[in-house]
Amino acid sequence: MADIILNPYYMQIASFILINIILGISIYITLSTGLLSLGSAGFMSIGAYTSALVTMKLGFPMPLGIVSGAMVAALAGILVGIPTLRLSGVYLAIATLGFGEVIRVWFNNLEITRGALGIPGIPQMGREITGSLREFGITPDMLGLRANQFSALILFFILLILVILTVWFFVRLQRSRIGRAYAAIKADEEAAEAMGINTTYYKVLAFAQGALVAGFAGALYAHTTSFINPGDFSYHRAVEILIFAVFGGSEVIWGPIFGAAFLTLMPEVLRGLADYRFMIYGVLLIVMMAFRPQGIIDYQVLDWLKKKVKRNKSASPLDKQKGGDA
Amino acid sequence: MKKWMKVVGLIVSVMLLLSVVACGSQGTSGEGGEQSGETESGEKVAKIGVISYLTGDGAAYGEAITSGFEMARDELNEKHKGELKIELVIEDSAGKRDQALNAAQKLINSDNVLAILGPTLSSEMFVVGPEANAAGVPIMGTSNTAKGIPEIGDYVFRNSIPESLAIPAALKKAVDEFGIQKVAIIYGSDDDFTVSGYEVMKKAAEDLGLEILTTEEYATGDTDFSAQLTNIQAAEPDAILASSLYKEGGLIVDQARKMGLDVPFVGGNGFNSPQFINQAGEAANNLVVASPWFPERDDAQVKEFVAKFEEKYGKQPDQFAAQAYDALYIMAQAILDAGTVTDRDAVRDALANIKDFDGVTGDFSFDEIGDPVMEPVVLIVKDGKFVEFK
Repeated sequence: MADIILNPYYMQIASFILINIILGISIYITLSTGLLSLGSAGFMSIGAYTSALVTMKLGFPMPLGIVSGAMVAALAGILVGIPTLRLSGVYLAIATLGFGEVIRVWFNNLEITRGALGIPGIPQMGREITGSLREFGITPDMLGLRANQFSALILFFILLILVILTVWFFVRLQRSRIGRAYAAIKADEEAAEAMGINTTYYKVLAFAQGALVAGFAGALYAHTTSFINPGDFSYHRAVEILIFAVFGGSEVIWGPIFGAAFLTLMPEVLRGLADYRFMIYGVLLIVMMAFRPQGIIDYQVLDWLKKKVKRNKSASPLDKQKGGDA
Repeated sequence: MKKWMKVVGLIVSVMLLLSVVACGSQGTSGEGGEQSGETESGEKVAKIGVISYLTGDGAAYGEAITSGFEMARDELNEKHKGELKIELVIEDSAGKRDQALNAAQKLINSDNVLAILGPTLSSEMFVVGPEANAAGVPIMGTSNTAKGIPEIGDYVFRNSIPESLAIPAALKKAVDEFGIQKVAIIYGSDDDFTVSGYEVMKKAAEDLGLEILTTEEYATGDTDFSAQLTNIQAAEPDAILASSLYKEGGLIVDQARKMGLDVPFVGGNGFNSPQFINQAGEAANNLVVASPWFPERDDAQVKEFVAKFEEKYGKQPDQFAAQAYDALYIMAQAILDAGTVTDRDAVRDALANIKDFDGVTGDFSFDEIGDPVMEPVVLIVKDGKFVEFK
């Protein structure tokens, strides 16, 4: 276990998994109102560029940069959401995909983003924090770690905490008035409206929340890789994010989370197969779609898992002992 | 209920099987290579990591580069038998930055390589370079031409000549020979490689006091350039400067000639490819480009390399293969100079001190930041062939 935690290679993969989980959640939120938005890559780029530019040009501290990246993306989400949410289904998908491309071309032609050249040297979270801790006299050697181990660990734990908070927030949200409204709109929009739900408001809200989370992930991505260019946020990225939800399942929040984790891990696990790895990745997706078109995780799987856990709990001797002690 | 559980079970078992296979093959490739160190016979083993673009659109580049490395490795291991054995650990980046970063972390931390060669793209280097630098692993790019690569840190080097060296050389030669005064520029505005080439071109033209009549843009994937070329034709330049990849470059040159634009072209590094000539044919005549690599150079070392490469891979080596081949030789020289296969810092210092290395791409030294100091060869296309422009 210590080998895994202390090896920056594994921590790096874990960090990308965590960022992709946040992206998976962003598409899940819009899907939970029955809207198919392919704008995630566009919102991600807004978050990434905003955070990179305000930290580098205006000297904002990194946490503030990341928050402002997410906020600007959410604002863009509201602005784009209000007109496009008159569309539904595949028309909305096309419109949002178009939005993503417009944003990409825009970043490609702006002077301040250095166009297609991209922005190198964005402060990297792990290295930056390691550096500032050193100023306070805390060095990685004190913990018996090398500098790169330490910064990889810090990056991982920060992302882990952020992911836990994000997941927790949206799990809670589902049980709230807002979450119920989303579910009602997804099930039947007209019926929901007849029940007195302001569907436009909730749809724009879901869209903006999706944009906020995608922008957040984008900002984290910029501060993880330390270089971004518009090519990062092309429609390939939008489709990749969509696949997280399609593969993992889009009925429950655990679906896209599982999808993101699994699909990010796969190319690394298959690294040993060299040229064949992306072939296998593709075959896996086809097999998956043939056998489980609804995605790996849905309510049934979740119930089954819950039952299994419960059964194990009641059967485990440790629990009995605990009960006895009480 | 039971049915879907069976299906899930099936899928999970297939996936488990796949991952076992994957881990198995990974395990053997990892264990097969010994750690850097000394074997019983006193032969030192140096493990060098390679990050290359092996799957995806640009796989041709990665393939050329790894062939160059493999050939150099076989020759070096033969030459230094009993003294130094080089092992390459080759990882794919698929041209993606996150994959390149994963590959670098694996090489640095799981494989414990002594040094890294690659990655293929400049944009990948901007991500991988800082990480290798922070971990204290010497890294040398063999195909990165963008501005600001060795500036990343003390441990970052490259042996590929930057555009800021190649393009001005080509332009100066063309100006001297053709008496150019007014130029037009055309470039791809959505690709980091062509944009950085354009910036160098613009500066080089201004430095030489040339008048830039018009600057035209296109997007990667365009096939019709008549609008841009009509504007250029109307401006009546003495020469056209083009920064593009060979795909668009071939089309631009071809369409320009068909419109009757017969002025010379001065190209960026993208034109430096046999594929460009294949595509443009006769239209390519009078295109000037500076290259670190010229396979027909009259030099025994070059002739031997070309002959051996053709024998092994059945095609002529391009500049990527040649630069990779030289890079491993330079790295081996640094390891021998440092006299260690475990001390990364010593290898870095030895690398920085490489001077007057005689490779297939010419006489080579590093400057104080780790950029190459070398004379590019200026080539011109005559009768559908690259020849030295004298």
